Amino acid sequence: MKKRWRASAAVCMAAITAAAAALSGCGAQQADGKVRVEIVQYKPEAVKAFEELEERFNATHDDIELVIDSPNDAMTILKTRFIREDYPDIIGIGGDINYSNFLDSDMLMDISDYEGLKDIKESYLRTDKELEFIPYDGIYAVPYMANAAGVLYNKDIFDEHGWTIPKTLDEFYQLCADIEAAGIQPLYFGFKDTWTCLAPWNAICVDVAPSDICSQVNSGTAKFADAYRPVAEITKSLLDYAQPDPYAYSYNDACTAFARGESAMYVIGSYAVPQIKSVNPDINIDSFVFPGSNNPEENVLNSGNDLQWSVMAGCENKEAVYEVLDFLYEDENIQIYLDDQNAVPCKKGDFQLPSMLDGMKEYIENDRMADYQDHHYPSEMAVDAMIQTFLMDEGSDSVDTFLARFDTEWARYNRDLITKVQKFYKEHPEMLTEGGGN
Amino acid sequence: MISKGAQDRKRTFLIITIVTVALFFCFNTLPLIKGFIYSFTNFKGYGSYEWVGLRNYKDLFGDARVGKSYLFTFKYAVVGTIITNIVSLMLALGLNSKIKGKSALRGIYFIPNVLGGLVIGYIFSFFFTYVLPVIGQSMGIEGLSSSMLSSTDKAWIAIVIVGCWQAIAMNTIIYISGLQTVPEDVYEAGAIDGVTGWKKFKSLTFPLIIPFFSINMVLCMKNFLMVFDQVMALTKGGPSQSTESISYLIYNNGMSGGQFGFQSANAFLFFVVIVAISVIQMTATGKKEEQL
Repeated sequence: MKKRWRASAAVCMAAITAAAAALSGCGAQQADGKVRVEIVQYKPEAVKAFEELEERFNATHDDIELVIDSPNDAMTILKTRFIREDYPDIIGIGGDINYSNFLDSDMLMDISDYEGLKDIKESYLRTDKELEFIPYDGIYAVPYMANAAGVLYNKDIFDEHGWTIPKTLDEFYQLCADIEAAGIQPLYFGFKDTWTCLAPWNAICVDVAPSDICSQVNSGTAKFADAYRPVAEITKSLLDYAQPDPYAYSYNDACTAFARGESAMYVIGSYAVPQIKSVNPDINIDSFVFPGSNNPEENVLNSGNDLQWSVMAGCENKEAVYEVLDFLYEDENIQIYLDDQNAVPCKKGDFQLPSMLDGMKEYIENDRMADYQDHHYPSEMAVDAMIQTFLMDEGSDSVDTFLARFDTEWARYNRDLITKVQKFYKEHPEMLTEGGGN
Repeated sequence: MISKGAQDRKRTFLIITIVTVALFFCFNTLPLIKGFIYSFTNFKGYGSYEWVGLRNYKDLFGDARVGKSYLFTFKYAVVGTIITNIVSLMLALGLNSKIKGKSALRGIYFIPNVLGGLVIGYIFSFFFTYVLPVIGQSMGIEGLSSSMLSSTDKAWIAIVIVGCWQAIAMNTIIYISGLQTVPEDVYEAGAIDGVTGWKKFKSLTFPLIIPFFSINMVLCMKNFLMVFDQVMALTKGGPSQSTESISYLIYNNGMSGGQFGFQSANAFLFFVVIVAISVIQMTATGKKEEQL
């Protein structure tokens, strides 16, 4: 009897241990001797392109097994895995605050010895440099794809009425008034999904606010209350031309409405095009740069690193990882992604750009671009929800309330960072004059 | 001397208990302790972190967003608990009386509990955005002619409606089982004394089902305080952060935002609050219980 009780106790313990082991993740070693390279990338809408790339890679490589995960809400999944200390080899994320945070937490590998870097366009590498909280030596991300944000417009409606692309803010307001007079809804917003509030915000920011405003604030030389006042005012003025109660509709609703021709324009990024086309494949879309300023010289394209690859610091198979990266950067493989996702490649070379970027081409070719300002906002500060609150606030002092709140909350959510940055520049005053990173 | 059979029995119980305790410890107590430890750091959820002492707890009481989420959650839980208990008690009284198709009706009323919170949330989200405004417009009711979910004053009511709609199912079942424990002879004795209608319910039925009432109150309050699915599916905390529940804020800022340490402190505070409320409720209603 005693034996049986011991055996059952042992079985129970084994079961618990096994469950614990299953939860603690797995290593890179494979039973068949292949090196396993795992990529987690954060664009679930590109899952088809990546499935094709994964298949092509595995068909041509015997020694490496590539696995590409494209989960929904990948950033949360990644962070949950990081809490468990379970790291993939490569992460494909955007050039935003998460990249800055991962880098700041010493989680990424210096890959400045990667050969492929010399083929990447300078401006995108520079964008990544600007995302560093304090200047780092080395390179920690390879930009893959960029996107562009501005105004998407329904070309058929525009051609029918003979409307032209506005170059200044006043021309834009005039255009909206003309569209309204023709009985068409000028703009449609999906502000129920708070992040869409950032689309017009970002596009206006690049035109009328200094591009390094966040680092200026962190080092204590500027205030958002001054720099963001015109941005806030212009963003709010757009509501006059939007559908009633835009906070009732989600991003999907807005994409659907625009796809069905219910509005002539939609202030959003190029990333919305696949969604719109899934509703109406025949829609004729083009885009233009949001003219936030009345001086056409000041208006630049809002473009940032939409997808870039970083290697985790703990990765053991650097050679295999570089081979995977080489594969991803082969021209034909980049074209697979471009055709699927309407993106802008970060690699130099002659790629076929999607036609809905025609209106922005001139800016891309002349490198008149600036990064999304929200790439510098901490996500827990929820600037998107703050903008939504501001837009819904009908009081006469709404702009002042909002800007005051922006400055206080920024100081509250970036407390540790501001201390760190100011300490760094105190120790390295020469970096500040050089204009250092963010 | 204990017989061999009894000893085996004891061993079996011991094994069952040990396994359960071990699992409970691994998946409940350990994470709680770990979270409590993280609440003293500025951990982002990954990478290196520093000890910050009690700063997170101090911040909790000065953070407007956390305060707003507590206000919303309590408003939601109190209103939701009252509505759910009144409606489900009425439903249970109806479904316990001698009516046709009683079993089928009970089954139908239980369906909301079987469906997932997110599924219900998305269906209701469509209803509130597209169906209800059209009904409101055609009937000329101004309050309903725009989406409830886009108004900071009305969005929480929409979440209460969905939360109650789902919670009523389980509470009704508990009340029905409570009503079935009331012996028929009590009613017969009451009938001889001429007790009917509201008085019969107030003096006979309700005192005898108080244990079920108290368990319903505690479960309901606890479930409503931890509201998450409905918020996620209906409003995602909006419009303008007016419907951020505590659980939603902890998840959102702790996981996808970089506030793991701060939100761990919030979660620990929330845990203490829920335990305190449950204890108060149990002692308050426990005193009123009647035994036959």
